[in-house]
Amino acid sequence: MSDENEKLKKNSRRKFLQDLGIIGVGSILGGSAILAGINYDNKKTKSQRIRVLTAENELLEIEKSDTTKVVKTKYENLTYLQKQGREGIVGRRWVMVVDLSKCRNARKCMAACQHAHHLRPEQHHINVLKMQESKETAPYYMAKTCQHCDNPPCVAVCPVDATFKRGDGIVLIDNERCIGCRFCIAACPYSARVFNWAEPLHAIEDEGLTYNVELNVPQRKGTISKCLFSADQLRVGKMPYCVSACPNGVYYFGDENEDAVTNGTTKETVRFKKLLEDNAGYVLMPELGTQPRVYYLPPKNKEFPFQDKDRPEAEEHLSHGNA
Amino acid sequence: MLRKNIPYRFVLTVILVASFYLQPFAQGWDVPADKKAKNSYIKFDKATAKEGETVYTKNCQSCHGDIGKNNSLKSLKPIPPDLSSTKSQQLTDGELFYILNTGRMIMPSFNNVLSETDRWKVISYIRSFNNSYIQVLSKTDPTKSNLVKINLSYDSINSIVRVQVTASEKAGVVALKNSEIILFANRYFGKLQIDKTLRTDNDGIALFRFTKNLPGDKSGNVELIVKVNDDKYGEILSQSKLKIGVPTDKPSLTEKRAIWNVLLKAPIWLIITYTSGVLIFGVFLLFLLYGLFRIKKSGNN
Repeated sequence: MSDENEKLKKNSRRKFLQDLGIIGVGSILGGSAILAGINYDNKKTKSQRIRVLTAENELLEIEKSDTTKVVKTKYENLTYLQKQGREGIVGRRWVMVVDLSKCRNARKCMAACQHAHHLRPEQHHINVLKMQESKETAPYYMAKTCQHCDNPPCVAVCPVDATFKRGDGIVLIDNERCIGCRFCIAACPYSARVFNWAEPLHAIEDEGLTYNVELNVPQRKGTISKCLFSADQLRVGKMPYCVSACPNGVYYFGDENEDAVTNGTTKETVRFKKLLEDNAGYVLMPELGTQPRVYYLPPKNKEFPFQDKDRPEAEEHLSHGNA
Repeated sequence: MLRKNIPYRFVLTVILVASFYLQPFAQGWDVPADKKAKNSYIKFDKATAKEGETVYTKNCQSCHGDIGKNNSLKSLKPIPPDLSSTKSQQLTDGELFYILNTGRMIMPSFNNVLSETDRWKVISYIRSFNNSYIQVLSKTDPTKSNLVKINLSYDSINSIVRVQVTASEKAGVVALKNSEIILFANRYFGKLQIDKTLRTDNDGIALFRFTKNLPGDKSGNVELIVKVNDDKYGEILSQSKLKIGVPTDKPSLTEKRAIWNVLLKAPIWLIITYTSGVLIFGVFLLFLLYGLFRIKKSGNN
C-alpha cells in the first residue's frame, strides 16, 4: 500500500508540475503574442505618419501616403557641383585684360560682383584701387582681382586641398573643405582673398541652398571667399559679372587658346596677343613667378582725369622719401 | 481704326517736319538723310518690345539705366540720355538705328554685336515708352534674305578667303553687287572680325586677307561667319567651317606637375619610394622591439 501511495503521490506531483509547465509556457507564448500584436499595431499607425518641416519653418506631422519625394536636379546635388567645379571647362584657358587707361572709378564692377557672390560691402573679390608709383608720376585707378596664377602660392599652402587650380586656369575655393586656417591669405601676394569673419550677408535667405563651388554661394562663416572669374557664367557662355557690368570698356575677357578677348562693354572681340603687344601689356609682380592670368594695359592716354578727391588715397602709396 | 485712316503721307510729313525741328539734337550724330528715313521691317508691338527689353538689359542698361527712371550713369561724359526723354523719342527710327550701328565717343557700335532684328527690337522697346508714337513700317521684305546664297572658299597660297554672294531669283541667279560684307571668326564670347569691312564687286565677290596664325580647333577648323548688308535683301548671316586655322590642342593647366599637386597626380616612383621608406622604418622598429624582448627573456633565464 505504502508503495502504491508513494507512487500516487509521485504521480500527482509529476502531473502537477507537468500542468504548471504547460500553463506557464502557454501563458508566456500567448502574452508575448498579444504584446507583439499591440506593438505591431502601434508601429503601423506611427510609421504612416511622418514629420515634415514646412517652408515657414513649422514642424508638422502628415500621413506618409500623402507625400511625394522631391527629385533633386543634378544642379542641386552638392557632389555633382563640386565635381563639375573641380574639372572646369575642358580646352579653355581663361584670360582677363584690364585696360587701365579706361578706368574712371565707376565701381560698377565691384557692385555687380558683391551682388552676385552675396558679399558684405567691405568684402571685395574685385577692388578699384587708387595708385601712384612716385611723386612725379600720375595717379591712376587700378581694378584688382585674383590673378588666377598658373603657379598659385595659395594652392601650394592649403593643407586640406580646399583651394585648387583648375584645368582652365581658374583658382577656386571649396568652402565645404575649407577649415579657415587662412594660410592662403598669408601666401597670396596680391591680397586677393577675403575671410568671412562674421555671419555672411544673406545667411538666413541662403539657408538650405545647395552650395555652388563655381559661385561660392551660400557664403559660410569661418571660410575663405575669393574671385572666381565668375566660373558659373563662363559655363553658360556669358562673361564675368564685373566684366559685363563695366560701363567704360575697361575689361576684356576671353580664351587664350582661341587668342581672342572680348570687351565687356563694347562686346568687340580682338586678338589677345596683339592687344598686349600693341599696348605694352604687363602682369603684376612677375618677379614672384606666379604667372598671373590677369593682364594689365598701362594707364597711357587716360580717357578720364584722376579725380582730385582721390589724390590723398593714391599718395598713401608713396614712401616718405618720395613724398 | 483711326490710325489706319491717317494717310501715309501725312505721317511722313509729320516725321519730316519733326526731324527738321530736331536737327540740333541729331547734329552731333550727323545722320545721313537716307539713313534717317530708314524704317524697321519688324512691327513694334508688345512681343518685340519684350524681346528688345532682354537685349537692352544686357547691352544698354549699364549706361542708359532703366528707361523712364532717369537713372542713367551720370558720371559719364556726355551723360547717356534716358531713352524715354522727349529728346530721344523725337529722333526717327532711322536715326536711332544709325546711332546704335555706328556709336560715337563713349557709345559703342552695336553693328557687329547685335543682329539687325535685335537692333530693331531694342528700338521697339524704346518706343514702347512713347504712347503717341506711330510706327511706319519699312517696305523691305525680310523673307527676301532667304534667297541669298553665300559661298566660301580658301586660297591657301595667298591666304585669302573668297566669299561670293548670290541670290537665286525667279529670273535666275544674280550677284549681289556693292553690298557691305564682313567676315568673322567665331570665338567663345563674340565674333572676331577678319580683315576690314569690304564691299562686293560686280560678280558679288569679296576677297578677305586671312592671317595664318589664327587658332582653330583640334584639327584646325575655324567657324567663319559672313555678314552681308544689302539695301535690297537686308541683313544676311551665314556660318560655315573651314580648315584654315592653326590646330590647337593645349593641355589642361593642371597637367604639369607642381608643388600644389594632390596625391592623384604624384608620380609612381615617388609613391613607391615614400611608402617603402615608411615600411622599412616600421619593420626596423619592430626588429628593435623584438631584440629588446629577446634580451629581457635571456636575462630572466
